[in-house]
Amino acid sequence: MNTLLSLSWRNIWRHPARSGVLLAAIMVGLCAGVVTVGTMNGLMRQRVDYLIESELTHAQIHHPEFLAEGHSWHSIPEHDRIISWLDGDPRVESHTSRTLSDGVLQSPVRASGVRIRGIDVESEVRTTTFHENLVEGEYLDTDVRNAVLMGTRLAEEHNLDLGNRIVLTFEDTDGRLASASFNIAGLFKSASADYDELNVLVRSDDFIRLLADRPVYHEIGVMLESEEVAESFVADFNSEFTGAEAQTWRELSPELSMLVELGGVMVFLITMIIMAALAFGILNTMLMALFERMREIGMLLSVGMSRPRVFSMIMLESVILTFTGAAVGIGLAWMSMTYLSRAGVNLEMFAEGMAEIGWDYMVYPLMSAREYVAVVTVVIVITLLASVYPALKAIRINPLEAARDH
Amino acid sequence: MAILKTTDLSKVYNPDTVPVHALRDVSVSIEKGEFTSVVGPSGSGKTTLLNLVGGLDKPTSGEVEVEGIRIAGMKDRELTNFRLHNIGFVFQHYNLIPVFSARENVSFIMLLQNQDKEKMQERADELLRAVGLGNRKDARPPQMSGGEQQRVAVARALASKPKFILADEPTASLDTEAAMNLLDIMQRMNQEQNVTFVFSTHDQRVIDRARRVITLVDGAVDSDEHRDPDEGATA
Repeated sequence: MNTLLSLSWRNIWRHPARSGVLLAAIMVGLCAGVVTVGTMNGLMRQRVDYLIESELTHAQIHHPEFLAEGHSWHSIPEHDRIISWLDGDPRVESHTSRTLSDGVLQSPVRASGVRIRGIDVESEVRTTTFHENLVEGEYLDTDVRNAVLMGTRLAEEHNLDLGNRIVLTFEDTDGRLASASFNIAGLFKSASADYDELNVLVRSDDFIRLLADRPVYHEIGVMLESEEVAESFVADFNSEFTGAEAQTWRELSPELSMLVELGGVMVFLITMIIMAALAFGILNTMLMALFERMREIGMLLSVGMSRPRVFSMIMLESVILTFTGAAVGIGLAWMSMTYLSRAGVNLEMFAEGMAEIGWDYMVYPLMSAREYVAVVTVVIVITLLASVYPALKAIRINPLEAARDH
Repeated sequence: MAILKTTDLSKVYNPDTVPVHALRDVSVSIEKGEFTSVVGPSGSGKTTLLNLVGGLDKPTSGEVEVEGIRIAGMKDRELTNFRLHNIGFVFQHYNLIPVFSARENVSFIMLLQNQDKEKMQERADELLRAVGLGNRKDARPPQMSGGEQQRVAVARALASKPKFILADEPTASLDTEAAMNLLDIMQRMNQEQNVTFVFSTHDQRVIDRARRVITLVDGAVDSDEHRDPDEGATA
């Protein structure tokens, strides 16, 4: 085995330039592939994390018909018992109750349909990071009566500014139209332009006063200790309560869930393209090496080297070549990822376009140990597959080749 | 008992399309210690005969026996193993492994035979000394002349302690000095160590040294002369 290894290693270096180019291609390809996959992962993860942390939360609780119908009288029953249950569940990190209603925003300029979101400032700040989106004015912990926060984009459309008044009209829990004027206390700019155009935030106390004669909540956002426990949390909640329904973020935002799936497909495609290039590189190099050495391999077969040994020799050459390149490539990739996961990949040149679709231009690549293992496994499998053909071709060489002139 | 014997050995290429009778009913017997040349014009079947007796090709009919063992019906794996332990090869183009040193090239065969590593090194050095390359054992083929490479090839052929050595046009790629030098070495091995050599050759220098000359014409044995190389043909 040692001699086969030694022979294979030396065979590789018969043409240092050719092997060097292939090695460099493997290293750079693998490194670039891992960084690209990592960046895609980071982009997806950031998007998911941002939406979960800023507003969506890991799970939400609603009246079973609220999401479909959107009526304000579909409030969550047994709210206090649910809050006690949530407080007693160790998986729950924090939660916040929201009062919601669809309505119309009127300004002197025009009218727009919006979702009015009544929030409890203290628990909202504890649960989500939406307050970090405030770009002007104060959050809702202000002395201003009937304060409202709106997106900068919506404010621009209505030609509004801080301190201006707007009128919000909505259906109360008895089905009657109600309206009230609100003062713009702050402007926010989230990563989603759509969200900024379609949502306004008010204090739930102010909103409940106008909406019903008792506390009503339409949504409870729940942050859990981790995303992984969301499924079990939702299952437990739904078996405990019948009048309210919990859903995971994946159920609440199927488009986000699909985006994650799509990201997975993209990662798979990128990996496959890199691997296909790798496979053809190996195949090409090994076939060239083989054609140059027909007579020599014929000699080895003539003098008594068995075909399985010749097969192993050719396979070893491919494996050594690829594994050397892959080991260095993975090392480079790991170093690049370690640096980039801290420093980030700056996509500022696309910042405007990315903001339109709610993406951050600073991306922090991410690659789990499982994904590294997967990449290495795929490299091993592809290498072995790409090596089989040249190796099979080698053992089919007629030993008489050794005696012939080429 | 003959070390190598062929009985009615025939080889037909393309039997189903345009049959080419490369060898026709060749029956020869070679004893241990012979120094035999197989000669004849191009296309006379010299290389085909060597390929068949070396187990590199299968006959259409007839039999090849090495020390009484029939090899024509052996399976590929058996034949490979048989060649490894019984037959030494010297090729026209040397066919050394270019990335191995002279010593590694010689040891390689013994390694395939799973011989003891230390003994293997000793034997490789001894054989290289015997072919006059004791001081070139670490040189690689590209650093050696054609004559030196062919001498390594002879050492490699001897390394497995074969029953006989088949040499196909061993001097065809060498200049006169290198060819004579190589022939001296092979002749010495033959005389001192009783190594059996069978050559196919066009080279008169080789033919002149042979103690037996088998002449093939159109795939059949035309003559088989036993002679004293210093005194000319005897039979």
